[in-house]
This record gives sequence, C-alpha cells and structure tokens, in this order.
Amino acid sequence: MVSTAEQTTATDVAPKKGRSLWADARRRFLRNKAAMLGLAILVFVALFAVFGGLLAQWSNEELDYNVMGQAAQLGGPSLENGHYFGTDDLGRDLFARTVQGTQISLAVGVIGALIACVVGTVYGATAGYLGGRIDSVMMRLVDIFMAVPYMFVLILLLVMYGRSITILFIGVGLISWMEMARIVRGQTLSLKGRDFVEAAQATGVSTPVIIARHIVPNLLGVIAVYATLLVPLMILTESFISFLGLGVQEPMTSLGALISEGAGTIAYGTTWQLGFPLLFFVLTLFGFFFVGDGLRDALDPKDR
Amino acid sequence: MLTYTLKRLAVAIPTLLLLIVVSFLLMHAAPGGPFTAERELPPQVLANLNAKYGLDDPLWKQILTYVWNVVTGFDFGPSFIYKDRTVNEIIAQGFPVTLTYGLLSFAVAVVVGVSLGIAAAVRHNSALDYAAVGVSIGAQVLPNFVMAPILVLVFTLWLGWLPGGGWQGPEYWILPVVALSTSFMASIARITRSSMLEVLTQNHIRTARAKGLPEHRVILRHALKPALLPVISYLGPAFVGMITGSVVVDIYFSTGGIGKAFVDSALNRDYAVMMGVTILMGALTIFFNLVVDLAYAWIDPKIRY
Repeated sequence: MVSTAEQTTATDVAPKKGRSLWADARRRFLRNKAAMLGLAILVFVALFAVFGGLLAQWSNEELDYNVMGQAAQLGGPSLENGHYFGTDDLGRDLFARTVQGTQISLAVGVIGALIACVVGTVYGATAGYLGGRIDSVMMRLVDIFMAVPYMFVLILLLVMYGRSITILFIGVGLISWMEMARIVRGQTLSLKGRDFVEAAQATGVSTPVIIARHIVPNLLGVIAVYATLLVPLMILTESFISFLGLGVQEPMTSLGALISEGAGTIAYGTTWQLGFPLLFFVLTLFGFFFVGDGLRDALDPKDR
Repeated sequence: MLTYTLKRLAVAIPTLLLLIVVSFLLMHAAPGGPFTAERELPPQVLANLNAKYGLDDPLWKQILTYVWNVVTGFDFGPSFIYKDRTVNEIIAQGFPVTLTYGLLSFAVAVVVGVSLGIAAAVRHNSALDYAAVGVSIGAQVLPNFVMAPILVLVFTLWLGWLPGGGWQGPEYWILPVVALSTSFMASIARITRSSMLEVLTQNHIRTARAKGLPEHRVILRHALKPALLPVISYLGPAFVGMITGSVVVDIYFSTGGIGKAFVDSALNRDYAVMMGVTILMGALTIFFNLVVDLAYAWIDPKIRY
C-alpha cells in the first residue's frame, strides 16, 4: 500500500519517466536499512575472503615453531609476530586459516544454493506447468523426500563415497532443493494461465522451450530471494558436518571446522580460536539473512 | 477423519520402506566392504565372514531379509566393527539419553517460544516486543553447535556454575537442553508473534472484546488456537532439526546418546550402525510428521479431508 502511494506521487512529479519492476524493487531494497547493513557486512566478509590472504604474514599451512605447544601462553592475537588472530596449538596462523575457512564456507553456501536452485526450479516449473497427475506424483515425491532426516543421509553419503569436497558441495545442494521446488511450482501455477503463455502455446512453441523461455524468466525474482535465503542454510549445514569432523579435511578448513577446533580447546584458555571463526560465521549468516529478507520485501509478489 | 488418517498412513509406510531400501542400496553400492582392512584377509576367511553376515546372498534376498528383520523385530543385525555387539544393543544404550534431553528441549522450545511470542504480540511495539524480536534474530545465527561452546565457555569455565559434560544428574541436563532448544525456541517465538499479531486484527477478536471479555480470556480462548496453526506446522521441521542437533549435543557434551554412536560408526565405516540409526531417526521423523498432520487437521476446521 505504502509503495503504491509513493509510486503515484513519484509519477506525478515526473510523469514521462516510467519505472520497471526491477528498478522499483531496487529502490525499495536500497531504502531498507537492515538490508543495506547486511549488504555492507557481506561486502566486508567477501573482501576478507578474497583479499585477506594478501595481508596474512603466514600461510595457512606454515607452522610457527616458536608458538607450537604453547598456544595458550604465546599464541594469542598479536601484531608483533604477525598472527593477527593468534595461532592454534600447532602454531598455525589463525588469520590465514580463517580467511581460507571463510572462502570454503562461502563457496559451499553459494554453490550449494545454486545447485538447489537449478534442480528446484527445473523440477518445480516442470511439475507446475505440466499439472494434473504428473504434478501430483512429482509433488508427492517431494513430500516423501522432505520427511527424511537428510542430514543423516548426507553423512551416510559422505562416509561411503569418501569425504571429498565435491560430494559435500553436491550433497548439500541436493538435499535442499525441495522447498525451492514447492515455491517455484506455486508460482508456475499462477503464471501458466497468463496470455503470453497461451500465445506461445498457440504459436506451437514446444513445452520445454515455454518453460525455459517464458516461465522461468518470470520466476527470477522469487528465485533470487530464496537463493539468497538458502545460502546461509547451506553454510549452516556444511558447518554442522564439519563441526562433527565429517566435512572438509585438513589442511583444508571451513568455518565450521575452525569453530569445532576452537570449541574443543576452550578449556585450555585459547578463546581466540573460537572467537574469530565464530565472529566471521555469525557475520556471514547475519549478512545473508538481512539481504535475503530485504530482497524478499523488495521482490516477493506476495507482499505487493 | 479416519479416511484422512488412513491416507496419511498410506504415504508414511511406503516412505519408511523407501528409506530402508535406499539406505540399504547406498550401503551396498559403497566402495570397500565392511571387511576391507589394511591387511588383506585370506579369501577363505573373507568368504566365511560374508557367509556369517549373509553378504553372499543375492541382493534381493539381502534386502528382503533386512527389511523383514527391521519391520518385524526392530532387528538391525550385528555391528560390522564390534564383533560381539548388535546394532540394537548400541542403539538401546544411547537412546534413552537422547530421548530424555530431546523431549525436554522440545518442551522448553515450545513452551518458552509460544509464551514469548504471545507476550511480544500482546505488548506489540513495547520493549518486551523488541527484546523478543532481537532474541529471535540473534538465535537464528546461533545454531546448537555454536551455542554449545559458548555456553560451556560462560557457564562452566568462567562462572563455574554448571558441568560442561557428562550425564549424571539433572544439573548435567541444563546446558545440553539450552544449547539444543535455543534456535528452535527463537523460531517458534517469531512464528507465534507474527501469527498472533495477525489473528488479533480479526473480527472475532473484536467481537470477543466488544462483549466485554477480560483481555486474558480473549487471548487464551479466542486468539491462541488459530494463532498456533503455523506453529504446529513448524513442529515437524523443528523435530528433524532437533534430532539432527542431538548429534552435536552428544559429541560436545559427552552425554552418551545415540548421536555419538552415529558419528563413531561414521568414522569407523560401521555401515550397519549408521543404517540402524538413520532408519530409526527416519521412522521417528515420519511418525512425528504424521502426528503433526493429524493434529493440524483436527485443530483447523478449514481442512476438509
């Protein structure tokens, strides 16, 4: 309601200039303070992940023998020996490892969300567009999949087929496309009766092309919103698995693995080992949740 | 109602069978058998072992035997690593612990979450409301594996109030339950708050107020039931999340629950135990979802079955 009122006044002022749906959404997004804060946080985290390595004075695999075995006394964060975030008990630089962990966690989040989006969109759009019996069978299957405690199945997969990062990427994505499929199907149902779809049908465009060229582009807003909200969930899933020691393997690391390590050593007084990875973990999640909520407010047709 | 129940059962039972068969096939297709060791076993020994565990039968027979044993006797067979223990013994050892803090966490999450949500909605835009919203946003980024170390750091190491691990009495229950329930409590509070706010604007609430009912009766008798519907549909996912989170609790607090057995078996490649736990958790989830669906249909008069 508010936005329509604003629109009318805006068009009164500049009657000749129309605004596209996307421009309108962008304006609403830019006005959302929480979303802008989230975006700023995400930019910071991304800069840290990409360029943090240049600032590090130690590589993530190097051992600092001066500190090794005495992390609690000597390994604290300090500018003098170049360990900005301190070290672990092996003398590995926590700054470099946090940079790497952030990279891996972001990568798992984004790639997992992309996989979930592609699978969910194709599945949901197909089910929604075809409709009828195919639709009900396909959606019933989704119901069945959603009733499975997928984390256990994912761990089962990881253990059986080797704990490689590729399987982690794919597995994390493949277990979370169902929600996406439901949302996309719902939107497709409301799109398929529109005139432009009927026009395409009348001119003899084939079904896969209609789905790809006419249905999916009109779903992009919804997809963008839920993709952004999926990323933090993917990061959570990956961190959970890494926390159990079943995710990425040394020397590679992720925020979850670092948190797990820090959580295991807090009794020895090396609080920084928990604190810094935790800080970046929380910042990343906050950023994505805020941006996702902002995008939803700006783009989701339900709220208009 | 009976038809609806039967319909739901007709979905639940195949789901469970599917889960059993799929995890069996996954296990079967995995590279490296349970007896692949660093030192290769003599062929005769391997053949004897395979015969003992029934691994030399044709695949369809293995599946049927396994499903039959699971369905008729909850018998998950022997462990592949601990030669003298069955999967059932391993599960039976940890399950009561998991069940205890699981149920406690669930109760805490629902009771505290719903109360907080109602309080925030009734005192809309008050300090309490903002606090509740703040807490629920914060808890979103504090899943159980983050809560657990923070709680131990504060309450065990800094304050020294509570034990940070073990399972010997009620004081050992507090930290695991808080760690497991916080994020779900926050989600439930958020859902309750927003649905309560929506219900409070509806006509029947205005009518109830207009006829002079005291506010607490309006809230509890007229607004609560419709406001709880979204909460009820969230209980299914919350249950799955808690089952999953119990693994973290078992690992971090050494509570000795079933999650520890699961992770140990994952690290040892003890497929029999992994499958047993997965199927048990799957069965619990499916059963719980069934209960939730029936409860929803029973409470919501708009659902026709």
